[in-house]
Amino acid sequence: MSVSLASTTPPRSDTPAQPGESATVTPFPVKVQIRNVGFHYGKFEALKSVSLPLHDRRVTAFIGPSGCGKSTLLRILNRIYELYPNQTATGEVLVDGQNILSPGLDLNLVRAKIGMVFQKPTPFPMSIHDNIAFGIRLYERLPKSELDDRIESALRRAALWDEVKGKLRQSGLGLSGGQQQRLCIARAIAVQPEVLLLDEPASALDPISTQRIEELIAELKSDYCIAIVTHNMQQAARSSDYTAFMYLGELIEFDETERIFTHPREKRTEDYITGRFG
Amino acid sequence: MAAEHIIKSYDEELARLNKTIVEMGGLAESQLAAAIEAVAKRDSELAARVVEGDAAVDELQRELDNLAIRLLALRQPMARDLREIFAALKIGADLERICDYAANVAKRSIALAQTPPIQPVHALPRMGALALALVKDVIDAYVERNAEKALDVWRRDEELDEMYSSLFREFLTYMMEDPRNIGACTHLLFMAKNIERIGDHATNISEDLYYLVHGRALTEARPKGDKSSLEVVAPDRNGAR
Repeated sequence: MSVSLASTTPPRSDTPAQPGESATVTPFPVKVQIRNVGFHYGKFEALKSVSLPLHDRRVTAFIGPSGCGKSTLLRILNRIYELYPNQTATGEVLVDGQNILSPGLDLNLVRAKIGMVFQKPTPFPMSIHDNIAFGIRLYERLPKSELDDRIESALRRAALWDEVKGKLRQSGLGLSGGQQQRLCIARAIAVQPEVLLLDEPASALDPISTQRIEELIAELKSDYCIAIVTHNMQQAARSSDYTAFMYLGELIEFDETERIFTHPREKRTEDYITGRFG
Repeated sequence: MAAEHIIKSYDEELARLNKTIVEMGGLAESQLAAAIEAVAKRDSELAARVVEGDAAVDELQRELDNLAIRLLALRQPMARDLREIFAALKIGADLERICDYAANVAKRSIALAQTPPIQPVHALPRMGALALALVKDVIDAYVERNAEKALDVWRRDEELDEMYSSLFREFLTYMMEDPRNIGACTHLLFMAKNIERIGDHATNISEDLYYLVHGRALTEARPKGDKSSLEVVAPDRNGAR
């Protein structure tokens, strides 16, 4: 496996260097440290000792063929796998230094801190307003005006406000696929998480909606640590700062996205991203 | 070349790109060889054919550019494939320039053939032979994707630079000795400069090939043997002869 120095030296600064100062990188600290994480579905070993960092305010993309374990890894990061029997994770996932896999931890707090959006838009069968209020109410009791402000701000952050502001009481199911997905992203960020997990968030969307989601990811990364699983390599190349290539439950290579897509270190990575995988 | 793509037509398009470069390389070699022969043998007919032949190279370059643009737009190449296409575009441009210089040498040889033969003419084919060897070797290196061989060409260009510097001094001496040599020597000087530039384009190709193979730029400083730009000619104490 190739893991570059990326864990200690982030790729670039978002703020241009001041005159007279050398173009040193502004550090984006490690928000999530995945350490020796393994996973079993019953007896099947789906992940084998995966270790890598997720940097704060950066986007990390996970790519690899179907069944490589990338979605499994994402499901571990907010312990959603625990909803199913016979699934066990080993190793550590340190979020700000705290291991979220340790049994004593309050799951609801973990999931409030780590939001997730799935491949298929999953709006609840309720109004647009209530879709977002639902998540907030799970964790906080807010006065109505504050709740409405939070909903508006989440919809604005998710670039959906202008399209839905006149119909907040209408059902979320009436929105288009792309709008529904942005509604789900709004719902995830309304509870003010710190990490956003996106599991193929655009794979069911048309190209224009996909670009909206990608633009949204670019906007959101100024506030969040984002991990995205995608089958679309161009999407990974366009929207991420770091890329992890996984194969058969192993992390094969993790590096800056630019490096992965111009000259990866591992032949298997090269074969996969150039379309030579047999 | 690496293993095959899942999509076969992608391989075919990359192979065509490769073939076009090799074809351009072959033309660059034959154009340069013919230009040098035209100088050595004062063969104006051959020189005229070289000048005419340049259009074919330009056409190939346009074809190469179209192929590369098409691949970039339709295949969204990554990693090695991306470097292949990027290198092909740059190498194509260098080969086209090499052919331009060869045509230029040929064109001047026609003018040169109309002046009485002078001694330093013989030095030019020697320089041309070295440039031709560099072009040939760098094309071979491209075909083999051999970065080491490319590096060797890159280093040998220094020899060509040194030859140019010494020819430069030689031509100056001839011109100072007898002003009637100035016309022929000026043509020869430009021809030598053209050949020296061909070497520089061969080193560009070496660098592109190095990047193609290793995925990183060649950062070492290239040895430079051409000192002619720093040369000063002090007038004779008794004035020019």
